[in-house]
Amino acid sequence: MHSKLSKPGDIQGWIKMKSEGINKISQTVQTKKHPKSGTDKTKLERNGDQKRCLDYISQNCIGCGICVDICPTNSIKSAPTLPIARGLLKMDHISVNKDTCALCGLCASSCAFNALKFSINDTDVKKTEMYPKWSHQTTIDNDLCVYCNKCENVCPRDAIKVSRTLPERSKLVTGEIDINKEKCIDCGICEEMCPADAITIKETGKNSFEISVDEKKCVYCLVCKRACPEDAITAACRLCSYGEYELNPEDTAIKGKVVLDDETCISCGWCEDICPKGAVDVIKPFEGEIFTVNEDECKGESCHACEDVCPCNAITLENGKAHINPDHCVLCGVCAKACPQNNITIKRSSMNLENVRSKSWDKILSNLVG
Amino acid sequence: MSVIIDAEKCGKIENCPGEGLCIKLCEQGALEEKDGDILLIPEKCDDCDLCIQNCPNQAISKDG
Repeated sequence: MHSKLSKPGDIQGWIKMKSEGINKISQTVQTKKHPKSGTDKTKLERNGDQKRCLDYISQNCIGCGICVDICPTNSIKSAPTLPIARGLLKMDHISVNKDTCALCGLCASSCAFNALKFSINDTDVKKTEMYPKWSHQTTIDNDLCVYCNKCENVCPRDAIKVSRTLPERSKLVTGEIDINKEKCIDCGICEEMCPADAITIKETGKNSFEISVDEKKCVYCLVCKRACPEDAITAACRLCSYGEYELNPEDTAIKGKVVLDDETCISCGWCEDICPKGAVDVIKPFEGEIFTVNEDECKGESCHACEDVCPCNAITLENGKAHINPDHCVLCGVCAKACPQNNITIKRSSMNLENVRSKSWDKILSNLVG
Repeated sequence: MSVIIDAEKCGKIENCPGEGLCIKLCEQGALEEKDGDILLIPEKCDDCDLCIQNCPNQAISKDG
């Protein structure tokens, strides 16, 4: 399979991409009719003029090069992924040659990561019945989510945003506290020991003080009561005293929202893995396997190209050698292309691209698997 | 096997589209700039081939 694939470093002319890089191709296609030719072209019916548009969304591109491999007119060139990943080159991962691009849309249909969009007459072809659709996806069940933020923190693409509103602390506790000001000697011990900063003693005049308790802050832990040398404080926690003391569920509810950006999510599975509530379900774009061919060949610390280019944070160095965690791999193949030793092999067994109606497309796409 | 740099293909660093990309990529410090050219320090080279793969001028290769 690898013989068919491009290696970024092998591509002549990426240098020119800086000046010639095109990130949007838009042209109006004059419909050609081939009434008598009997070729495949006649099977594609187009009524009137079409506006075809190929859009490259740079921030979604992970540099996997699937579009480069798949383009039937060899119109897409890839830049070396590693220097871009390391921030040494500031350029797009790919550039499309506008002179040779046939605007067929196969690249956009095969891009599993929403980096290429193809529209006809301003309609994204993925929203039409005629074009293939990826069925890989990540879904987060808001009903199961407890807004712990773990998924947001772990997502390598920053595709998840969790927002939550916590209840007021004072509404989760209930109790009574009273300070007998006759007995109080203003020693300040309770103020110093209160873990909730709920007690304040204010100087109101010469040798006169006023002690007060902020009941919004007090958690009725009774530390003040126990510490007071004068037994001036009476306090009780209702929850401790009565066991299951009913709190108003409205007051204690944690409210929140978890929002997943489908455009930047690459279905790597980190969120599913880390979610303690089983609220995430991930279907990956490809099924298959990935492995290092010969561990001895791996240059580890000297190179770590695979670790740097992996968009899924699925590769780490362990004992000086690249270690790939298949659970977080999307089989995009960018590591295999970036490895100077050709030491990483991916074998895709299937891809979750549905509704491929064209036989010729199906044939080209089948090069990605098997 | 040792890394060789084709001086003709390489040219001066100032003309390199990657602005001396090989030097920046090599974390072993086996490539240095000397008088605007690339200098290889073979003892430091770990044969990782990153420079070979990523040279925009394809000026780096291996003999043997």
